[in-house]
Amino acid sequence: MKLKKITQCVILSVLAAAQSAVAQVDDEHARSIVQQAEMASYYAGNDGRSLARMIITDGNGQKQIRQFTILRQDVEDRGDQNLMVFFSRPSDVRDTVFRVLKHTTQDDDRWLYLPGLDLVKRISAGDKRTSFVGSHFFYEDVSGRNTEEDYFELLEENDEFYTIKAVPKNLSSVEFTHYIVNIEKSSMLPRKIEFYDAKDRLYRRVESLKIENIDGHPTVLHSRVEDLLNGGATEMQFRFVEYDLGLPETLFSERSLRTPPRRWLKIKG
Amino acid sequence: MINTDALCHFFINNRKWVFWVLLAVVATAAIQFPKIQTDTDPENMLPTTDLDRQYHNQVKETFALHDSLVIGIVNPDSIYHPKTLAKLVKVTEFIDGLDSVVHQDILSLATVDNISQKEPGTIQFEWMMKTPPQSDERAQQIRSQVSRLPFLRNTIVSIDEKAATIYVPLIDKNTSFKTANEIRRYIDSLESDSLDNDQWHITGLPVAEDQFGHEMFVQMGISAPLAGLVIFILLWVFFRNIPFITAPMIIAMATVIITMGTLIAFGFTVHIMSSMIAIFLMPIAVVDSVHFLSEFSDNYKKDSDVKEVLSEVVGRLFQPMLFTSITSSIGFYSLLLTPIPPVQIFGAFVGTGILLAFALTIIFLPAYISQLNSKNLEKLIEINPDSEDSKIAGSVRRFGQIANSNTKIWYLVFIAISGISAYGISKIEINDNPVRWFKPDHQIRIADQVLNHHFAGTYDAYIVLEQPKNHTQALINITSDFESKHTLQSEFKNILDEFVNNLEKPDSNLTSTVDDTLFALEDFSFLDISEEQLKLSQDFALQLEEFLENTKPFLNPSNLSYIADLQEYLNTTGLVGKSNSLSDIVKTVNRELHSGSSEDFRLPNSNPAVAQTLLQYQSSHRPQDLWHFVTRDYSQSLVWLQLTSGDNKDMQQVINKVDEYIAANPLPAGMDYHWAGKAYLNLIWQEKMVAGMFDSLSGAFILVFLIMALLFRSFVFGAVAMLPLSLSIAFIYGIIGIIGKDYDMPIAVLSALTLGISVDFAIHFIERLRVNYRQLDNWNLAIKAMFEEPGRAITRNAIVIAIGFTPLLFAPLVPYITVGVLLASIMAISAVATLIMIPSVLKPFHKRVFN
Repeated sequence: MKLKKITQCVILSVLAAAQSAVAQVDDEHARSIVQQAEMASYYAGNDGRSLARMIITDGNGQKQIRQFTILRQDVEDRGDQNLMVFFSRPSDVRDTVFRVLKHTTQDDDRWLYLPGLDLVKRISAGDKRTSFVGSHFFYEDVSGRNTEEDYFELLEENDEFYTIKAVPKNLSSVEFTHYIVNIEKSSMLPRKIEFYDAKDRLYRRVESLKIENIDGHPTVLHSRVEDLLNGGATEMQFRFVEYDLGLPETLFSERSLRTPPRRWLKIKG
Repeated sequence: MINTDALCHFFINNRKWVFWVLLAVVATAAIQFPKIQTDTDPENMLPTTDLDRQYHNQVKETFALHDSLVIGIVNPDSIYHPKTLAKLVKVTEFIDGLDSVVHQDILSLATVDNISQKEPGTIQFEWMMKTPPQSDERAQQIRSQVSRLPFLRNTIVSIDEKAATIYVPLIDKNTSFKTANEIRRYIDSLESDSLDNDQWHITGLPVAEDQFGHEMFVQMGISAPLAGLVIFILLWVFFRNIPFITAPMIIAMATVIITMGTLIAFGFTVHIMSSMIAIFLMPIAVVDSVHFLSEFSDNYKKDSDVKEVLSEVVGRLFQPMLFTSITSSIGFYSLLLTPIPPVQIFGAFVGTGILLAFALTIIFLPAYISQLNSKNLEKLIEINPDSEDSKIAGSVRRFGQIANSNTKIWYLVFIAISGISAYGISKIEINDNPVRWFKPDHQIRIADQVLNHHFAGTYDAYIVLEQPKNHTQALINITSDFESKHTLQSEFKNILDEFVNNLEKPDSNLTSTVDDTLFALEDFSFLDISEEQLKLSQDFALQLEEFLENTKPFLNPSNLSYIADLQEYLNTTGLVGKSNSLSDIVKTVNRELHSGSSEDFRLPNSNPAVAQTLLQYQSSHRPQDLWHFVTRDYSQSLVWLQLTSGDNKDMQQVINKVDEYIAANPLPAGMDYHWAGKAYLNLIWQEKMVAGMFDSLSGAFILVFLIMALLFRSFVFGAVAMLPLSLSIAFIYGIIGIIGKDYDMPIAVLSALTLGISVDFAIHFIERLRVNYRQLDNWNLAIKAMFEEPGRAITRNAIVIAIGFTPLLFAPLVPYITVGVLLASIMAISAVATLIMIPSVLKPFHKRVFN
């Protein structure tokens, strides 16, 4: 019995070693850097609010806009998180709400409220790398990619940046084969992420264009994602970013989908 | 009158110069050849300024549409086998790796999304088939998913599930032949497994067009030299003297090289029409030489002075040759009246080439012959092609006897032929289809047939519905109205002033401008401003938003419902395989947002509901697909019709049906509709071609008639000269109508230009008949004399031209074959018509006419 366990253990570790040798280096140092970046990007403060504007430009220069308010509350740092996205423009999608209960150990729960159809709809777990409301951002960019899904390797380090290569553990779940992220040491925020596809083409780039310190938290105020294969980009600007507003937990409920919490959405007055 | 004698002597005496100058010009022209650019885009049949063409391209840009290759895989059993689907994935991935394709718009099972309710009450977008299915169950799962999505069914998988397609949009349609070949090669490399029975096909108009261009080159490389060879053999049969017949060959080659070189040097592209220039010019260029050589060999006797004989020949032939050259070139120049640029270029260059050939005949031929040694010339006399007991001579004589008797019967025959021709012409069906330019066994034709058998159709036409309203002015009015009513803080006022400024810019995008202003107003509202200013800015923002919402007709369910009804009607016509529209998208997403069952396959009931449904649609892997069907301001919407036939007549019928429908079911108020798409554009240039050809034909007819009248100084002879060729052309087109051959591009183009070529026979015949009648003063004797040397010359020339065009019969492309058959028959028929008709028509009136 014991022997069997030991053999099992040996076999498993050999397998794991073989896997990492063939498949991917996973570097603890790199992982901890990425985790710090995750913390800075998605978990600053205990809660937060910002007003976002999105300008979606296609390859021919045609534009669309989206405007929404994001409310966020952390259940646990780098752990579960509540997220609500309230759309205000274009006016015909006003009061559409997107609600996420983010989990680290299981799939996120996602809901949608469409006021025009008076319909609350749950979004199935599954592919999170679909377009976020027609933009070049994915749902996953909004809620954050789970760091457990990738292997990391520190490629380079200088005074300003860590350059880390990430390879997905499950290649079939994503459209990239690896990405390279530059994390700024001063803010611990990703400055640039470049994605490569199966043909090793650099096809997608996410950049933080403007970072400011708000309430002691380095905060991305302007980011852009570009489709390098087809042309087109989405710019996202965040304004009126505030942390630790003391958002009540009840706010992140199904009830708020149908009756938006005006008090917390009102930035002024 | 030109002193041909002096002219002739001048060229003979300076023949070295003649040779060197000609060589220099030909060489200069020849070095232009590498700069050749081909153009096979039927779109170029319309000038770039054409409104329909501009609209078509504007639609393509507005809706981000690209010309697409259609790759098809057919499995006689079902495509839903893991192996077959695996290949589909592989090929799709290969295609995505090519630089020439629009990656995000590749349409295949491996690139589209499935929208479904994975669990009840949920909604999900997921890749339909990102990786090949590993089991039959998974393949069947894909099958049932596809059958639920109207967008995919019958577009990327056929209804019978035996075929699947990959739509490959191209960044530049001119790369389609190259791209198709790359894909073909890749597919061939896959086909190592002999057990499967998957078949691959590649079709789509762009590949047909581009492949046509490729084969056109091959064609030019084969047919033109072949025509040269055939003419050389014919000349050999007539004259049996190589140095002697080298001269017309030099003239033909020089004419072709100079003409083509000039065309290329001027930067004109070689189009399907201009690729035939060589083959048109060669036989026509030789005709003058044949006259010249015949005349020379008739007159040259042993010990005669070559220069004198040449001078005599030039003197005698100069005028008729000039006139026949002018009339022939008029036939081609008349094509300038057709508003189709490639046809105009063709007409202009062949017309000029004919005049060039005439000039070369007058300049080069005497210079060349004068330097042949006497031995060569004497050999020529031994085999005088005009010998009175040749085979041609006997037949021509018999012809004369028949023509000059039974006048009444001939009149009846002519009337009967006219009647039959009129009947046939009334039956003519105007139709063309670029795919049919290939022979039936060509892989493109086969692919076209197979894919259109399985699918709803691979030919695209678009109906664009739009509400053209000048919203700009309304917005300017609202703004200035607002400004005049309220006292605004300077920042606020600046925003509004800039708004009006931007609106007044000619290329302003209304939605973007309003969006920018809304953002600016919002920014303003966060400044430290008074309650009143805040309220005003919010009020104005609301006004703008309301305004925008009200100018989005294609978020309105009733308008979408109109589209859906139109689509349903289209399905009943039997002409449209399938249509796709915004309404289908909205209904499908609405179904999945609700129960997922067919009773929810309907339109939601308000504009915001539609907008929110579409916001969901945009949450897929392919959000950009939406913009192929509606513009971002929702003021224009496109309905994509898939037609199983690329025939212009079928497209015409679809248009008629839609017109009828819209007449009976008026469009929503203020709405308008237009057509675009390749199938539609082909129809448009065909219409212009047909109308233009009428102008060309009548223009050529009038001009040639006037020249005839001028030449003979008689309207009667002018009219008589026009008779045989008119009847011949009418007869040919009558037959085309009766046998049901479509009146397509080559047939249309030929009508006008054959007029110019075939009138040559009449010119020579009447000219000689008048001389003979004057000399013999007896109708029967004059006619008898006509069927000696002149009759033989006409017959010989008809044979040269007709046979000169026959290499076209071996062309791999149908339009060339059509041209070959048609020209050869028009030449033959109009020669016969000339020989019979002129004597028999003139016979009863000869006394009055000739005196």
